[in-house]
Amino acid sequence: MHNLITALFEIMSFASIVVLVVLGLGIIASMMGIFNFAQGEFVLLGAYVTYAVHNAGLPVWLGMFAAPFAVGALGFVLERLIVRRFYGAPIVAMLGTYALGLIIREIVRGLIGGLYLSVPEPIGGSLSVGDMHFSSWRLVIILITALVMAASYLLLARTAFGLRIRASLENPALARASGISTNAIYGATFAFGAALAGLAGALIVPVFSLFADLGLRFLIQGFVAVMVGGVGSFAGPVAGAGIIGTLSAALPWVIAPVVADVLVFVIAIVFIKLRPQGLVSGRGV
Amino acid sequence: MFSDHHQQSRRRFLANFAFASTALATGVGSWVVRPDWANAAADPIKVGVATDLTGPIGYAGNADANVAKMVIKEINDAGGILGRPLELYIEDTASNESVAVGNVRKLIQRDKVDLVLGGITSSMRNAIKDVIVARGKTLYIYPQLYEGKECTPNLFCTGPTPAQQCDEFIPWLIKNGGKKFALPSANYVWPHTLNVYARKVIEANGGEVIFEEYYPLDQIDFSSTVNRIISNKVDVVFNTVIPPGVGPFFKQLYEAGFLKNGGRLACVYYDENTLAINQPAEIEGLASCLDYFKALAPEDPVSAKIQAAYDKSFPGTFLFAAGSAATGTYRGLKLWEAAVKEAGKVERDAVAAALDHAKIAEGPGGPAEMVPGTRHCKMKMYTAVAKGGNYEIVARSAGLVDPKEC
Repeated sequence: MHNLITALFEIMSFASIVVLVVLGLGIIASMMGIFNFAQGEFVLLGAYVTYAVHNAGLPVWLGMFAAPFAVGALGFVLERLIVRRFYGAPIVAMLGTYALGLIIREIVRGLIGGLYLSVPEPIGGSLSVGDMHFSSWRLVIILITALVMAASYLLLARTAFGLRIRASLENPALARASGISTNAIYGATFAFGAALAGLAGALIVPVFSLFADLGLRFLIQGFVAVMVGGVGSFAGPVAGAGIIGTLSAALPWVIAPVVADVLVFVIAIVFIKLRPQGLVSGRGV
Repeated sequence: MFSDHHQQSRRRFLANFAFASTALATGVGSWVVRPDWANAAADPIKVGVATDLTGPIGYAGNADANVAKMVIKEINDAGGILGRPLELYIEDTASNESVAVGNVRKLIQRDKVDLVLGGITSSMRNAIKDVIVARGKTLYIYPQLYEGKECTPNLFCTGPTPAQQCDEFIPWLIKNGGKKFALPSANYVWPHTLNVYARKVIEANGGEVIFEEYYPLDQIDFSSTVNRIISNKVDVVFNTVIPPGVGPFFKQLYEAGFLKNGGRLACVYYDENTLAINQPAEIEGLASCLDYFKALAPEDPVSAKIQAAYDKSFPGTFLFAAGSAATGTYRGLKLWEAAVKEAGKVERDAVAAALDHAKIAEGPGGPAEMVPGTRHCKMKMYTAVAKGGNYEIVARSAGLVDPKEC
C-alpha cells in the first residue's frame, strides 16, 4: 500500500514536469503551426536565469519569478527578428529553430563551463506521512503545473485575446480583414510559449541541476508528446504530455529501466500509426 | 576599371583562399605551445595531447590540457629533456569519436609527435588507440580512472583501476556503512566491468549485493530505484550512475530519507567537480576513493605545491581534480619524462622499455611507479567523505596500491 502511494506520487510528479515542459511547445505548435526546436533551450534559459540570479546572491524564488519574463522577452525578440520569416515553411522553421537552439545551448555551456551545477529549491526537504516521504518541491511543481494549465486554458478559451489567437490560427486572412493584427498576435503567442518554457526551466532546475543539455533531454519526449496528443488544440499536447510522462515514470517500476526507455517510444509509434491524428483531433482549445 | 576590379577581387580571393586553407590545414581545434628558448641546438621533442576540450566533458579535457601546459612549461624551464626543449601539440577530441580519430591522425601524421597522451572516456581510448599505437607506431598514455583490462602493447595507463578503487574502499564501506549494497549503474562499459569486480570484493568481505541495475545514460528520474533502495533497507549505494542522472538520483534518495536512516552513498568517480551537482546536505557523507583530493594539500607538501601552481596558472572553472584525469595526466607526463631520460632518446621502443619500470618520487597524492610488464601504475589511494560541501580524508592506503591488471 505504502509502495503504491509513493509510486503514484512519483509518477504524477514526473508527469507534471513533462506537462509543464510541453505546455509551451504545444501552444506554439498548435496555435502557430510551427515546431519550435529551440523550446528545450528556452527551458534551459529559464533554468540558467534562475541559477544566475541565485549566484548573484539574490533569493532563488526571485530568479524563478524573473525567468518567465526574461525568456518571454527573448522569445518575443527572436520571433520578431528570425522566427517570423519561417511561417510559410514549417520544415525550414524546424531547421531554423534548431539552429537557434544550438546557439543558445552552446552559449550557456560556455557560461557554466560545461559543469553540472546545483540550484537550491525555495521550499526544500520532504513531507513525512508515516514512514513515507514526499518531496516538498515536487508537490509544489504538481500544484503550479495544475495552476498554469488552468490559467493557460482560461486565457485561450475564455478571453478576447484567446479568441484572437484562435482566429489568427484558423483563418489568418479573415482575421486580418476583421481588424486583428495577426503579426502582433503571433509575436505575443510565441513570447507566451517561450515564457512557459522559461517557467518550466526555473521550476525543474532544483530537481535536475543545471547543465547545458537539460532542455535537449526533454525535446524528444516533448515532440512525441505533441504527436501522441495531436497538433491543433491546447488539450491535445497536454494530454499527450500526461501520457508520455506517466509512461516514462511508471514503466521502470515494473520492467528493466533500459527496456522501459525504448518501450515508451515503441508504444508511442504504434499509437501514432493506429491514430495518426493524435488523441485529440481537430482544432480549437 | 572593370578589369582592375576583377584583378583586385581575384587577388583577394586568392588571399582568402590561402588563409582558409591554412586554417583548414592547421585545424580549428589545434594549439601549439612552443618553448620560450627557440635558439636550442637540437630539435624540440614533440608531445601530443588529445583531449575533450569541447562537448559534455569539456571541463575535464580543459583541465587536462592545462595540466599538460603546466608540466611541459616546468620541464622546459628546468632545461628540457636530454638538452632538447619540449613542444606541446594539443588537439580537441570533442567528446566525439569520429572527430577525434581525424584530429589524432593530425598529431601523428602532420605533427609527428613522439608521444600522445589523452582520451578520457573508454570509448574514446578504444577509438584512438589503434590510430596511435598500431598504425601510428607512437607511444600512448591514457590518464583516466577506468574499468581495467587494457593490455595493448605501448599503451600505458596512469589512472586508477577497479582494484585500486575497490580493494581498500569496499571493506571501509562495509565497516562504515553496512553489508547490504545496491549497485545502480549507467548502462555502458565502465559500470558493467567495475561492478563485476566490486561484487567480488563485496562478497569476499561478507557483504551482499541486493540489486545491480542499469539505466539509460540520460535517465533523470529514479523514483522506482529509490523506492527499491528504501524498501530493501540498503546500507550502501555504490553508485556508477553518471551526470546528468546522478544529481537527481542523489536528491531523490535524500528526499526519501536514505541519509537520515543512516544510509551511505559511495561513488568512485566523485571529485571536486562533481561536488557542485548537489546541495551539500543531499550528499553529506558520500564516500569516494581516488588517487588525489584537494583536501590532501595540508598534509602533503608535494600535492600542495602542485595544486598551488595549477591554481595560480589556471584560476577559474577547470579544476585540478582526479576524476577529470588531471592527476593521471600529471603522472603520465612525469613518468614519461623519467623514461626518456633513462632511455637517452625518444624512439618508441626504447622509451616504452624504460617506461615499463619508470618511477616518480613526487606527484599529486604521492609517488607513483609502473608495475613492470603490466603498463599500469601503482599509486597511493585515498578515501574521502563529503562534509558540508568539502572532502575530508578518512582513510589512506599504507603504501602504493597494486593495479592488478594484465
